Amino acid sequence: MTRVSAPTVQEVQTTFAEALCAAHEDAMRLDPSIVLLGQDIRAGFPFGATKGLVDEFGPDRVINTPISEAATMGCGVGAALAGIRPVVEVDFSGFLLLGLDQLVNNGAKLRYMSGDQVSIPLVVRVGQGPLGSFAAQHSQTQHAYLAAVPGLTVLAPATVQAAYDALRWALVHDDPVVVLEDMRLYRQQGTLVRGLAPDDITSTLHREGTSLSVVTYGHGVILALQAAKVLAAEGIEVEVLGLNSLAPLDVAGIASTARHTRRVLCLADDPPLFGVAATIAMVAGTEAHDVLRAPVLSLGSRPVPTPYAPDLERLVFPTVEGVVEAARRLHGWEE
Amino acid sequence: MTAQVQARVDPDTARDLYSRMAVIRRFERLAYRAYERGDVHGTVHVSIGQEAVAVGVIGAMGEADTVLSHHRGHGHALAKGVDPGQLMAELCGRVDGVSRGKGGSMHSTDVANGFLGTMAVVGSAVPLAVGVALANKVKGIDSVCVAFFGDGAVNQGVLYESLNLAALWSLPVVFVCENNSYAITTSADESTAGEGVVARAKAFGVQAESIDGQDVIAVEETAARLISGARAGRPALIEALTYRFMGHSRGDPPHGVYRTKAELSEWTQRDPLTLLVDAAGLDPATVEALDAEAAAVAEAALAFAVQSPVPAEDELMRGVRA
Repeated sequence: MTRVSAPTVQEVQTTFAEALCAAHEDAMRLDPSIVLLGQDIRAGFPFGATKGLVDEFGPDRVINTPISEAATMGCGVGAALAGIRPVVEVDFSGFLLLGLDQLVNNGAKLRYMSGDQVSIPLVVRVGQGPLGSFAAQHSQTQHAYLAAVPGLTVLAPATVQAAYDALRWALVHDDPVVVLEDMRLYRQQGTLVRGLAPDDITSTLHREGTSLSVVTYGHGVILALQAAKVLAAEGIEVEVLGLNSLAPLDVAGIASTARHTRRVLCLADDPPLFGVAATIAMVAGTEAHDVLRAPVLSLGSRPVPTPYAPDLERLVFPTVEGVVEAARRLHGWEE
Repeated sequence: MTAQVQARVDPDTARDLYSRMAVIRRFERLAYRAYERGDVHGTVHVSIGQEAVAVGVIGAMGEADTVLSHHRGHGHALAKGVDPGQLMAELCGRVDGVSRGKGGSMHSTDVANGFLGTMAVVGSAVPLAVGVALANKVKGIDSVCVAFFGDGAVNQGVLYESLNLAALWSLPVVFVCENNSYAITTSADESTAGEGVVARAKAFGVQAESIDGQDVIAVEETAARLISGARAGRPALIEALTYRFMGHSRGDPPHGVYRTKAELSEWTQRDPLTLLVDAAGLDPATVEALDAEAAAVAEAALAFAVQSPVPAEDELMRGVRA
């Protein structure tokens, strides 16, 4: 009798940024058409998501670009049009605005405008959110706008594993994918299993609960899980649904948790009006209107350019305390 | 010595060049008529008067080479081998259009013929060509990408970012500026400081030449030389001086507030088709026959287009994603 050993699963502790680097590495080993384009990417500056890749893959595949965001994005779209898989790295959200014409007018639309003749397998990685006193132009989010552009797939991973999976999936996908990386997550530790590209990216039920649901994405997952611990001590059991993809949106997953707990808090990093929370709330309200015991509540950022002063900045984006307070209000809502 | 001027091209080549320009001319005239009849929708930008640039440059390209163009791109499409019937069907918004009726006059694409598409944001196809050239280099494919743009794109910053990347990375790409003197109603002189796009390109170390865009033979000779350089990793820019004989788009008269009848007439004296007839010594009977053939091609294209079905409702959401 032979003993069948379990497949070796190598689990490592690493950071969100290192997981992205590992995803680049694993994908590039499998697909020689993957080329990285970005500012300072050979050095892996500033967050380490491409650190050391030039040593293995060489300067022809890990290409430093000048500070020319519009042409770099256009070059990425054109290279994808011609059949290779470029990854365009945009370090800070503010810089993405210069490349948006190319991404939105060309990248997102070429498949459709050509009558389905062409694929644009472009991956764009963009740092999002605040980093701590980096001020208004380096601390903003673009989730709602990008997710509203037909033709773009928008991912917003929250964990080390989700970051790896998102990038691996994006690098086998045949349409433009924007991976929105919350900069507060780059140094987060977590468990990573390197492996194959996943079949799909949807959402993760990070915590089960019966009292209410927090539906969120990216850094919001961290806040929601911390808030859930505080609330558990009060007897409030929070379910946390993390949306790894904003476009397409896991409508069924939102419906399922909304119908399960019948109370929904939408947690986002942009202002509630016209932001991601507005869409999640619309979906939850439509899908669970017959069973909801309270209005769907939303918590997002204050509608203000992010200030520099730390004491002001901490008032802008949602906090654990803010989530706890909103959850208590939702839980105590009288029918 | 005889007084007869030596023809600059052999008769077969001349007939071929003439024929290709005549097809574009007749196609676009008919597209205008189809617009008036309501078969072509929205707006339409024709390149009547500029045919020598499309035919000359693309005539110098190999089959594996590719083209990216702009909102005034019918001539480039036809010169690259796009089927006139499928192109006209696209203008008419029919399912047999090259882009299944979803792109229209401003977004015709035909990948099988190396016509990678037309972008209608001025100058925005230029960085795409840089990317196509980068991909060709990465894949080790011998293929040059040509990006056409107008004088209106000469003041878009992305053009200069793209010239820089092309030169920096020695990419097989050729930038062709069709300087037809006007961006809608604004003249190139009103918008462009300094010595113009050739001088600007040279500043990036890109070889650049300004040529008579009405002379198809000169265009083809220059393009052949510069495309061959690009193939060897020396990106290039051609400024072809030309003129659109019609207005910017349907509804804009050929002359009026921004240009005079006299100026228009000066340029129509330099019609690329007549210039070729003179340069090649084509006889009137040949020209008449080629014109008739071109007219027949255009008529057949429109006949094909209008019999093609309009897209069914289930086409609407197809092709947003893979």
